[in-house]
Amino acid sequence: MISKITQFVSVGAVALGAMVGSVKAADDTVKVGVLHSLSGTMAISETSLRDVLLFTFDEINAKGGVLGKKIEPVVVDGASNWPLFAEKAKQLLEQDKVAVTFGCWTSVSRKSVLPVYEKNNGLLFYPVQYEGQEESQNVCYTAEAVNQQATPAIDYLLKQGFTKFYLIGTDYVYPQTTNLVLLEYLLSKGVPIENIGGGFKKDDSGKIISAGKYTPFGHTDYQQIVAEIKQFSAGGKTAVVSTLNGDTNVPFFKEYAASGLTAETVPVVSFSIAEDEFRGLPAKQLVGQLGCWTYFQSIKSEENKTFVKAFKKWIKTTTVPGIVKEGRVVDSPMVLSYDGVYLWKAAVEKAGSFDVDKVRAAWKSGLSFDGPGGKVTTQPNMHLTKNVFIGESKADGQFKILEEFKDVYGEPWLLGKFKK
Amino acid sequence: MRFLIRLLLLFSPGLMASVCSAAEAPRAVLTAAILAKDEARKIELITSLAGEADDAIKPLLTAWKEDGLFLYQPSADVAPVPVQLTGEKDANDTQAALRVDSGRPLLDAAGKPVRLAAGDLTAVEHDADLRHAMKDVLDLLDLSTPDVAKRIQAIQAIGFAQDVGKIPALEKRLGLEANADARRSLREAVAVTRLKDSSETAKLAALKELRELHSLSSYDLIRTAMRDAEAARQTEIAVAARSALKAIDAHKSKINFYGTLFRGLSLGSILLIVAIGLAITFGLMGVINMAHGEMIAIGAYTTYLVENIFGEGLVIPCFGFSLSIPGIHATGWFYQSYFFVALPLSFLTAALVGIGLERSIIRFLYRRPLESLLATWGVSLLLQQGLKLMFGSNNVQVNSPVYLSGNWTVDDITFGWNRIFVIGFAALIVFGVWLILTKTPLGLLIRAVMQNRNMASCMGVRTERVNMLTFGLGSGLAGLAGAFISQIGNVGPSLGQNYIVDCFMTVVVGGVGNLAGTLYSALGIGLVDQSLQQILLNPVLGKILVLVAIILFLQWRPSGLFVTRSRNLDD
Repeated sequence: MISKITQFVSVGAVALGAMVGSVKAADDTVKVGVLHSLSGTMAISETSLRDVLLFTFDEINAKGGVLGKKIEPVVVDGASNWPLFAEKAKQLLEQDKVAVTFGCWTSVSRKSVLPVYEKNNGLLFYPVQYEGQEESQNVCYTAEAVNQQATPAIDYLLKQGFTKFYLIGTDYVYPQTTNLVLLEYLLSKGVPIENIGGGFKKDDSGKIISAGKYTPFGHTDYQQIVAEIKQFSAGGKTAVVSTLNGDTNVPFFKEYAASGLTAETVPVVSFSIAEDEFRGLPAKQLVGQLGCWTYFQSIKSEENKTFVKAFKKWIKTTTVPGIVKEGRVVDSPMVLSYDGVYLWKAAVEKAGSFDVDKVRAAWKSGLSFDGPGGKVTTQPNMHLTKNVFIGESKADGQFKILEEFKDVYGEPWLLGKFKK
Repeated sequence: MRFLIRLLLLFSPGLMASVCSAAEAPRAVLTAAILAKDEARKIELITSLAGEADDAIKPLLTAWKEDGLFLYQPSADVAPVPVQLTGEKDANDTQAALRVDSGRPLLDAAGKPVRLAAGDLTAVEHDADLRHAMKDVLDLLDLSTPDVAKRIQAIQAIGFAQDVGKIPALEKRLGLEANADARRSLREAVAVTRLKDSSETAKLAALKELRELHSLSSYDLIRTAMRDAEAARQTEIAVAARSALKAIDAHKSKINFYGTLFRGLSLGSILLIVAIGLAITFGLMGVINMAHGEMIAIGAYTTYLVENIFGEGLVIPCFGFSLSIPGIHATGWFYQSYFFVALPLSFLTAALVGIGLERSIIRFLYRRPLESLLATWGVSLLLQQGLKLMFGSNNVQVNSPVYLSGNWTVDDITFGWNRIFVIGFAALIVFGVWLILTKTPLGLLIRAVMQNRNMASCMGVRTERVNMLTFGLGSGLAGLAGAFISQIGNVGPSLGQNYIVDCFMTVVVGGVGNLAGTLYSALGIGLVDQSLQQILLNPVLGKILVLVAIILFLQWRPSGLFVTRSRNLDD
């Protein structure tokens, strides 16, 4: 009986506390959603985005917040479970009534929450390179579009005199679509189809519906594929274009090195390996391989130095439970999350309101922010204009920047755009 | 005189080395070229450097092209001296000056080194024709780099460019080249370049040569030549090209055939290594051991620890307390030998964990196999979480020792050292397990207990102890497998999950309780999988077909390849 009473009292106290909290929240804070997987297979990558978002909120709050209101993050866990992402999005929009959400990594999680945001007229900031073919009015794509990562990399390789290209990727929507765009792009640049390796799949009418070699998530045996690349690469300067995702890169690159293929003879340009992924890869075996992103930690600008320093300092002092403190780095998805928060702040301040329609109108008017990777500018098609960098990996897991493309316009609709 | 030297150079590599070490000739030639008045003479002198192996040529020609060479003429009545300015600029913008003809510092009348400012001097002139000649020389320079791999790369680059003008230089190098691989590349490069020759006989000879060499790298170029010939209706050449392509295709099939055999054998060996422990714990003891995968992971993490202790040491987030383990900073061969320390340690660690597991949980479940499935699955989740808390949820890096990261290439077929090592080691493990089980007293006891626990117990065998050791042996073998997996794949907390299905598949197909069956089924699955991959060129479809084949096979023979017959009424 006594325990029941205490229980009742404590529940009441908690409820009262929550009420007081929410009353207070309505006054001088604004709720912002963070929707990433903090458990499951994607947690390795997505937890870093949560970390950088919390860091950015703290940074903004320390300088007075947005429109005089402090940002109050509502962090939910998508748990690498795509239907759960939609549930959590619904919770953020309908229950917590967040002004904006920063979240999602995989394309399938984005596709899963999209209807929720469109129905409730919410706003989602999406920060990870993706395949395009999408332009929702409820998503601000701070992510790299295919023409801000894959095609500049091909331009660079063509300029270096590479004539043969082998396409390989993990079997899901991002690599499949990207490789189809790349196939059209290579053909439009005059590369003959027999110089594009990995194989093609055609439908009944003879139209190519899939280009390149695909392996499932978690594939471990790359012997045959590497032998095929070795044969393909004989007789012409060859580069491998890889959209292999996650930890399959380890057996791939180990096999690659063991078969005698090197970055000097047949370089691999990877679109899914950034500084953060290097924490689990044998960096020494990847020296000299290429990467292409809109940000590298090694960029030598004052903005970047300040950002990296501030983030590392925050990591050391933060009290967020369970945060990894050892060996932290920053990479492109993290910086695009960071840029996203500041662009949202700029849009809100321009609109003078947190209202999604007004914020969207402000975004479309073309806002700029000088981020760690250089200037980024919002576009009417909900994407971002930004700089693109090609880098070569070093033994310490950082990239040496080889080439920079300035102010590349983000273009989501690329399939069928490049003609011979 | 120079002609004589060059003639000697051509025929005597040994002499070449001794002459070039003096480093006088190429520098003198370059000086003469700089000072020559006549453009044609300059080009002739520069071109004469082609094919020389001298360290001075490259930096000097590059400096010339980039306006780094100057003429020093203190007064009009003295002949100008070509110099190169190097080193840091001082406050007066002057740099150290080196004489082009000797490479030694330029001295003034008093014998002191002279410092010069680039702005006060006239740069040695160059124009497009000269630069072109220089580029040719620089390209060919790489033909004589001491590093064989780089040399072959340079040879191939020149060959692919198909510039007929480079043939004399390539042939000259062929005369000097001693390395067999490089010679082959040179012959290939010459033949490939000849495909662009205007004369039909030369083309035919080149195609014949390429057919004999069945060179993979020239495939695309021969195909282009064939199409050109067909377009120009040169039937003879088209036929020759087609037969060359056919020869190369045949060579490719041969490579693929032996390559597939080797890859199948290596995949089979990996399956064998990961499954042999399970063949003991599940096959012999009858424990449906779902935690087998985690024993593999423990072995892999042990290798990771040993590697880091041999190297720089490491910090692990051990259950929330940052634990720092110092390294012994080994280098060279001592560091590379970490793998041989890691092997027994992986075995021991996994065996100890296995014994702990057997004592605490499994010994209560020998008569209840289905419950052992649930219990061990729970243990596997516990161990995974434990590894996560101890080493973090990210994958960790394990660097392979050099002797496991190279390869051995015979006739274009690549044999990776790590794979050869795995095959050899699998053979050794199988032999070792066979020895233990058939030739030792422990093996005799194991076989007796596994056949009939009660009877063995009645005969005075300490079955508890035998159970414990057998489970330890099976777990230890899984740990050994982990050490190998760390060399070819990922090391992470969920490593075991990737292999557990393959392990059970191998053991079940081979016939539960039969070690020889596991051996055959592992090699069989490996070979079939790789052959299907090679034929279908699709890694996913191959794996699916293997699984379908296994299902059908088990319909036909439910107890696997080899059936263990006993007089036990339960079987």
